[in-house]
Amino acid sequence: MIVLMSVFKVLMPMIYLVVWGTYLWLFYTDHPTARRLCTRFAVVAVMLHTACLVGRGIILGRLPMGAPAEFFCALSLAMLATYLVIEIRIKAKNTGFLVTGVSFIFVFVGSVFSTTTMEVSPFLEDPGFAGHAVAVLFAYTALSLSFLYALMYLVLNRQLMRHQFGLLFRRSPSLETLERMSIGAVKMGVPLLFASLCLGHLWMYDLADRVDADMASMLNPWDPKILISWVILLGYSAGLIGNRFFGWRGKRMNVMAVAAFIAVVGAMGLFYHFFPSFHDFRSSQPITTLSGFPETASHILAQCDGGHDR
Amino acid sequence: MIGPTTLHVRSINHKNAPTEVREKAHLDPERATALMDALGGHLADENHDPTASETGCISVIPVSTCNRTEIYLEVTEGTDADALLRRGLAEVGADADIFFSEHATELQDLEAVRHLFAVSSGLESMMLGEPQISAQLKDAYRLARNHHEPGPGLLRAFQGAFRTGKRVRTETRISIGAVSVAFAAVELARKFFDKLCDHRAVLVGAGETGGLAARHFLQHDIGHLVVVNRSLENAELLAETLRTERKAALEKKAAKNSGGLLAPAPDIAGKCGKISVRPWNELTDALAEADVILSTTGATEPVILPEMVEAAVPRRKGKPLFLLDIAVPRDIHPDVGKIGNVFLFGMDDLDGIIQGNLAARAGQVPHAEGIIQEELKEFQTWLEDIDLRPTVAEFKAYLEGLKDKQVGFVRKKQSEEVAAAVDRSLQQFIKKVLGRSVSTLKSSQSREERERDLETLKRIFSSDEQD
Repeated sequence: MIVLMSVFKVLMPMIYLVVWGTYLWLFYTDHPTARRLCTRFAVVAVMLHTACLVGRGIILGRLPMGAPAEFFCALSLAMLATYLVIEIRIKAKNTGFLVTGVSFIFVFVGSVFSTTTMEVSPFLEDPGFAGHAVAVLFAYTALSLSFLYALMYLVLNRQLMRHQFGLLFRRSPSLETLERMSIGAVKMGVPLLFASLCLGHLWMYDLADRVDADMASMLNPWDPKILISWVILLGYSAGLIGNRFFGWRGKRMNVMAVAAFIAVVGAMGLFYHFFPSFHDFRSSQPITTLSGFPETASHILAQCDGGHDR
Repeated sequence: MIGPTTLHVRSINHKNAPTEVREKAHLDPERATALMDALGGHLADENHDPTASETGCISVIPVSTCNRTEIYLEVTEGTDADALLRRGLAEVGADADIFFSEHATELQDLEAVRHLFAVSSGLESMMLGEPQISAQLKDAYRLARNHHEPGPGLLRAFQGAFRTGKRVRTETRISIGAVSVAFAAVELARKFFDKLCDHRAVLVGAGETGGLAARHFLQHDIGHLVVVNRSLENAELLAETLRTERKAALEKKAAKNSGGLLAPAPDIAGKCGKISVRPWNELTDALAEADVILSTTGATEPVILPEMVEAAVPRRKGKPLFLLDIAVPRDIHPDVGKIGNVFLFGMDDLDGIIQGNLAARAGQVPHAEGIIQEELKEFQTWLEDIDLRPTVAEFKAYLEGLKDKQVGFVRKKQSEEVAAAVDRSLQQFIKKVLGRSVSTLKSSQSREERERDLETLKRIFSSDEQD
């Protein structure tokens, strides 16, 4: 299993590179073979990567999202999977090169830096945490895709305004499609973010009963990260309501989508650096020992991987 | 040389002949049929075996479109195809001299087949990659086939041409992208709107150009077309014409989909293609409600002014407004393009799109030529084995006869199951013997050796010898 995981560590970036290459081929040439193959390759990549992460989770005995490298790998999978859902729903393949390119960069970074030794919080070993974390990951991925499509909308809009009929004009979907893709991504992201917040709250209350008093005091529902997530959820929900009921669309809607995502990233960065939060799973010392959880990950991995890749 | 026959083509096309010459060379279906009669392409016999007429002509397929007139001819080896064609053309009252002038090109055998493949792929068309030529070739082939059974060479060449054309169009992007003003207008609109069916277009002006552009938008299922014209009467007239055409087109489409039976117009008719008329004084309201504006009036001054569009934009709730001015002089004031969320395009923009698409199509030519080369290679392979077929068929018939006799004998003595097993076994045996024989014949060192081997096989196994 360990050997297989090591093989996948090298193989996954290569597979993502092939997927990216096929989407690039499609964008530049619109070749029917590329059109036929790109989605299939992406599906294969998602399936293999999912299997790889599940295997890794089994070996580690925890959600493989603790170390930054692991997070990048999970992010690349989430991006590709979310993109595939949108592509299949909207039936527009020509934007794939953008998302798969970013996914490739993430998986590459994840693979290259996956050898750093790192202690992770035992929270990650809690099964209750997995649902929350995966939902958060997919929610923010969907929002970032919405940003990408809104950006593409604005670029194409600008080209049309300037009467430039270049490659982007010939290959990109219509403004209407790009807008649908951007809003479609928000429509995926908002419920996922809501679900992740609900799951997070449930898990937190459940955890409070099982940990010691010091730890329980840290589990604060007014945690800055939680608060900012609720604000983000409300902001995007307002955007969806405006689009549905008040005719917010076109350039204005897409400028809002771009601005909202930049605000999200900025706010997250700000809160991450300046406000303490229990949402930090990278601590070099385990915060505490959770009752009722077996000691698995650290020891197994230390033996299997020479202490690496945790 | 195609086995015992030769292929010829005489072509007058837009590359080598001006319009007046192409007009003179044109062969309508009646004259094409008369030419086939005159050249003596014979109806197939009951075994579908085309035979040469006394003139030496095996088959002839004339292809005549607005940009080319080509006569494909298959004759027996040694026949003077030029003399034959000249005589045939003169007989049907066509100007034979044109086909032998400097405006005509003559190609033979593989070069003729290569030319046919290129024509079918749209590489020889005035608008590179245009798809209509494929249908026109099929019509010509059908006309000829109804008249007589084409010879093996022409039959194979035309079938190969259809396959090549299909491959080129599906495997390359040679037919992609608008190359006419009306299609470029639709293509541009599609960069704004995914499905035109959900959108409304306003046609300003009811002239010929406007009608043509409107037809293209209706073909692409625009949701609602509103005609606005100074003369309401003319607008009504155009709308009525468009409605009638639309209905006929939908019925034709429905009949095609239902296998030839005349069916009611499909559901799409209810959702898309609505056509209505508005008076000139409601133009500003029409601008507010539309997504696409096509302006084609003959006015000498702009009829759509910035203040009209500025009044319409706030009512559109952020939806982009796409205006296309295809009138000369321009109908839409240039300052309209400066208004936010308004996109104004003119003839120069459409020309830019067309030129870009033509350049993109030209980039696909090497890929298309590669496909033609592959298909030509296959044709050549078929050609190389053409002389083997009759003898191999006789040999196979002889072996099949023997097998049937043996199986019949076994059936009398043994059970049905045993007979079936023997039949299967002998079938395999025949397959192996034939396979080996054909590969031996193909590997002959020289043509003489191959002919000698064929002669031997024929002498041993031909039906005459069996008798």
